[in-house]
Amino acid sequence: MTGSTLLVLPVGLPWALAVALALLNGRRPWVGWLAVAGLGASLVSVVMLTFRVLREGPVETVTGGWPAGVGIVLRADVLGATFAAVSVGVILVSLVYEVFVGVRSRTFPALVLFLAAGLSGLFLTGDVFNFYVFFEVSMTAAYILTGYREQDYQVRGAFIFAVVNLLGSVIFLIAIAALYHVTGTLEMATVAERVREVNPNSLITIATAIFVAFSLKLGLFPFHFWLPVVYVGSHAPVAAILSGALANIGNYGLLRFGGDILSEELALGATAVLVLGSASIIYGALQAISRREPSEVLAYSTIGQVGYVLVALGIGGTVGFSAALIYAVVNSLNKALLFLVAGLRGPFVAAAFAVGAFSLMGVPPAVGFIGKIAVFKAGLAAGGVIQATLLVALIFLGSALSFVYALQIYQRAFLAKEPQGGLWDKTSPWTARALVVALAALVLAMGLWPEPLLVLGEEAATNLIESGGSP
Amino acid sequence: MILAISLVVAVVFGSGAFLVLQRDLFRVVVGLTLISNSAFLFIIAAGLTRGTAGFAQGAVPVLPIPEGSAASDPLVQAMALTALVISLSTIALLLSLIYRLYVAHETVDLEDISEAEMRLAEALEREEEPEEEEKPEAGQEEEEIEKRSR
Repeated sequence: MTGSTLLVLPVGLPWALAVALALLNGRRPWVGWLAVAGLGASLVSVVMLTFRVLREGPVETVTGGWPAGVGIVLRADVLGATFAAVSVGVILVSLVYEVFVGVRSRTFPALVLFLAAGLSGLFLTGDVFNFYVFFEVSMTAAYILTGYREQDYQVRGAFIFAVVNLLGSVIFLIAIAALYHVTGTLEMATVAERVREVNPNSLITIATAIFVAFSLKLGLFPFHFWLPVVYVGSHAPVAAILSGALANIGNYGLLRFGGDILSEELALGATAVLVLGSASIIYGALQAISRREPSEVLAYSTIGQVGYVLVALGIGGTVGFSAALIYAVVNSLNKALLFLVAGLRGPFVAAAFAVGAFSLMGVPPAVGFIGKIAVFKAGLAAGGVIQATLLVALIFLGSALSFVYALQIYQRAFLAKEPQGGLWDKTSPWTARALVVALAALVLAMGLWPEPLLVLGEEAATNLIESGGSP
Repeated sequence: MILAISLVVAVVFGSGAFLVLQRDLFRVVVGLTLISNSAFLFIIAAGLTRGTAGFAQGAVPVLPIPEGSAASDPLVQAMALTALVISLSTIALLLSLIYRLYVAHETVDLEDISEAEMRLAEALEREEEPEEEEKPEAGQEEEEIEKRSR
């Protein structure tokens, strides 16, 4: 298969299927399985694309056969392909889970496919405005998915989610228009070249706007207020999709725009990024400890985990960027596992949760250890002795706090005697439990054989620094 | 000209931000519409002054215009159009969410809705509590009730 076909398939396949499935009744099992098959094919093509990109370098194609510079550029490098593979994987697992448990809405499979198409589109595009369009496609699908199951608090959560994120999108749109105005192009590679000749004053404003927009998506500390409301209310697989796949938009956006396009501005604002990341780690962990409901604890933990990515990004350089990518991947696997498990009851569920919790804390056999080690390494590489000591101490403190809250959830949800006649009496279907156990096994396996993940992180960071120019 | 346009964008954005902070959900949606419209104004404005960087040298415009006359950038208008369509669909989605909340609570005031939800949650808790205690004490309660009725 040629590179350009591989590039179009992950976006086009789920998109076409989503349009067809929107007309069918998604509550029928075969419709759900059709969506699973389409998404599975899309995942296979993304993984093949990742291998090709690793072997032969970035793949690029111009849509519609236009000459370069006129048509919209689709471009896959290691960073984008990795994020696309992880996000599509998480969405696929969540969709299979929901099909096992029973889909309750006509539109659920189609919406999940739209979200997957939008996500892989934005990870595999080389055009700033196209990035915005795909971003809106996936966000709009996510707004509707948040209201899935249509409880009142879920609809209210969807409304809040939509309003806050729409504000973020508008800020991002303004930043894109400004970036276009100062550079005169929308193609990422050309923008990255031309920004070096632009007046730094205007670029700082643009970089700040982009940073705010992505932090809002991520739920970073001062922009986090919407996140608990949305995550607590939403149904387990939807929460897994939101925190395991959709949050990757923020991670990818910060790495792409910060590490590649506006690398000098990132280096300039590194201190601010480090401080915000540290605040996020501490705030998220402390809030998580003080909450009782498992989904609420996980929501605040998400705020804390984002902080690690930010700290790694602030440190910069090959070590920092690769740590940011590895941590983002590890975190989306952890969160997908934990949110899915939180919605289940029955044998083996507690074991799967324990694996996820250990991964969250960074205990060796699980993959979380690899992520923590990468951030530790980045912390040691940072600037002077004092800064390095502070950062390592902070990361250690954050991990210790995550120990407390992860074990607290385990104790309350799985060890404590449950009230009779409650919601939790029913044992969940064995298929869904098997799926969660398989995901836990994957988390363990990736921790035991971390080589592929480390290679991906290394390659992506090297690519970013080469195309971004400055360290 | 630049000052006038930036003032307009600022005023539209500001009034939108004011409306988003209201409790009435319809005002929130109108405020969001205003904020996104300020973004479209900004995009169009980004193409009004012709920068030298983005203008392809020696390109021939589709509509023949005399050499050296002022022309605005067409790409930003295409961008504004795309963003406009996206915003339209999102606003429609928000309105449908409001309708869904209105059907459930017969109000579009955020405070009333959260009050109603609190009441519902309390009612649920009250229902659940006796169930928890039911196991050890259910027999006694029934006996007491029987005694009283006698």
